[in-house]
Amino acid sequence: MKLIRILIVAVLTVSCNRATTPERTDHQSDEAAPRAASSETRQPAVTPQPTTLPSQGEKPVPARTPIADQAKATGVNPDAAVLADFTSRINAYMKLRKEAIKDAPPLKETKDPAKIKAAQDGMSREIRAARANAAHGDIFTPEITAQFRRMLSPELKGDDGRDAKAIIKDDAPTNITFKVNAKYPEGAPVPTVPASLLVNLPTLPEPLQFRIIEKHLVLVDEDADVIVDYALNIIK
Amino acid sequence: MHRLLYIAILVSTLVLPVSAQELRLPNKPGSVKFAVIGDTGTGDQNQRAIANELASWRTRYPFDFVVMMGDNIYGGEKPSDFDKKFAGPYKPLLDAGVKFYAALGNHDDAAVQRNYKPFNMNGERFYSFKPQNNVRFFALDSNYVDKAQLDWLNKELTASGSGWKIMFFHHPLYSSGETHGSAEQQRGLLEPVFLKHGVNVVLSGHEHFYERIKPQKGIAYFIIGSSAKLRKGDLQKSDLTAFGDDREYAFMLMEIAGDELFFQTINQSGKTIDVGSVKRVSTEPAPGRSTQPVVPQAKPSPAQPGPRQSK
Repeated sequence: MKLIRILIVAVLTVSCNRATTPERTDHQSDEAAPRAASSETRQPAVTPQPTTLPSQGEKPVPARTPIADQAKATGVNPDAAVLADFTSRINAYMKLRKEAIKDAPPLKETKDPAKIKAAQDGMSREIRAARANAAHGDIFTPEITAQFRRMLSPELKGDDGRDAKAIIKDDAPTNITFKVNAKYPEGAPVPTVPASLLVNLPTLPEPLQFRIIEKHLVLVDEDADVIVDYALNIIK
Repeated sequence: MHRLLYIAILVSTLVLPVSAQELRLPNKPGSVKFAVIGDTGTGDQNQRAIANELASWRTRYPFDFVVMMGDNIYGGEKPSDFDKKFAGPYKPLLDAGVKFYAALGNHDDAAVQRNYKPFNMNGERFYSFKPQNNVRFFALDSNYVDKAQLDWLNKELTASGSGWKIMFFHHPLYSSGETHGSAEQQRGLLEPVFLKHGVNVVLSGHEHFYERIKPQKGIAYFIIGSSAKLRKGDLQKSDLTAFGDDREYAFMLMEIAGDELFFQTINQSGKTIDVGSVKRVSTEPAPGRSTQPVVPQAKPSPAQPGPRQSK
């Protein structure tokens, strides 16, 4: 009994200490948050909300999950919690993807580009079918979008920011359809992602990549040539 | 007297083009011989002109492989485009067993091209290969310099020993181009890694001209993005420029023999527009300089006619 009492006191002490930790400034959280999300060994700061990406017959995940509010209530860094939610959604996509393409011909090296295209189209078809009900905001929820804007904002100021914006404009494709499950238009240039922005975004598993088109951040499955989701007006 | 003068002028005009078309590389037995092309995938007459020159020069200088600086296939990437914009123009070289190693440009479909066997990318966005002991090439994806790529590069360079380390990728870290200019963002991430591990030479494209940059922090930089596209008047020669040409389509021949790398840049008419060499030197490590710096040499060995290959 005495032992239980000691344990309760210890737990309360720890949670009180967390609750009284000074709030991070925006700048601090911008720097720290991506590392937390990109580390392979670090556990998420909070248990991620159960997220299931919409597949056939399912409704899209509600976009307004108040992850940050829940994190605050439990004394956890809200930025890290939102990024953990992003990671969780990415992992869910990768799981769905793996299942969807398990019987599709793999993308493998060959001298025949027709075979590569056929493999890519097959993967694309299976993934789109498995995500038939996927919707904008499944991955880039409003909270995650806001968090990404905050993370990139410092990198878009000053000379470096002007440089980053110039890179985005350089050879930028036009007339891209922002549509979940759409294909990236054939023959359109692939805009270079400014390195200063990329290092501030979470690391993605292959074959996912970020692309910045005009002011928007697009999440692309490069092998399958599928737009997974997009976040509008990330670049201010 | 007038007749003699006329003959003298006639002889000199005949000699000049021959001289301009001479092989100016040592063409030593056992050296690493390769060609460099960039921004090639148009499928038009300009690409074919350079491709024809490459095939022609190979009869005198038997290079084993070609490195491609990206934008390997412009526009559509249907199977027929791979024939029109790559396999067709370079057929004589491919038939002769010349290997091509591609880097990805901003106009390339990465998923398709890295799996296209003739590009020898092994299914990867970034990779390395070793044509010979003491020389290693690293193809990077400068469109997307993420943590995974930087980690890989650090690891590969650490394991690569003290031989020649040659990088090739699309975006030039130093450039005097008006349209694009130096890729400073990529430079901020890549250059410290290059300096730390003693990279010697960096080859790039993206700019549709030829520019030889003065060695930067002990590293030699070349831009060769004019092997099918040309942006005339875009080269704003600057303090960075050792030599540049934005008036002619071009490709490069290179040769590594011992501690010296020789280069010869040739235009669509087969005329040599630049020639030289860089030498690796052993120096004490210094901050802000590659651990294996290069120094420009005087003009390389005099023209040596290489052995002609029988067809």
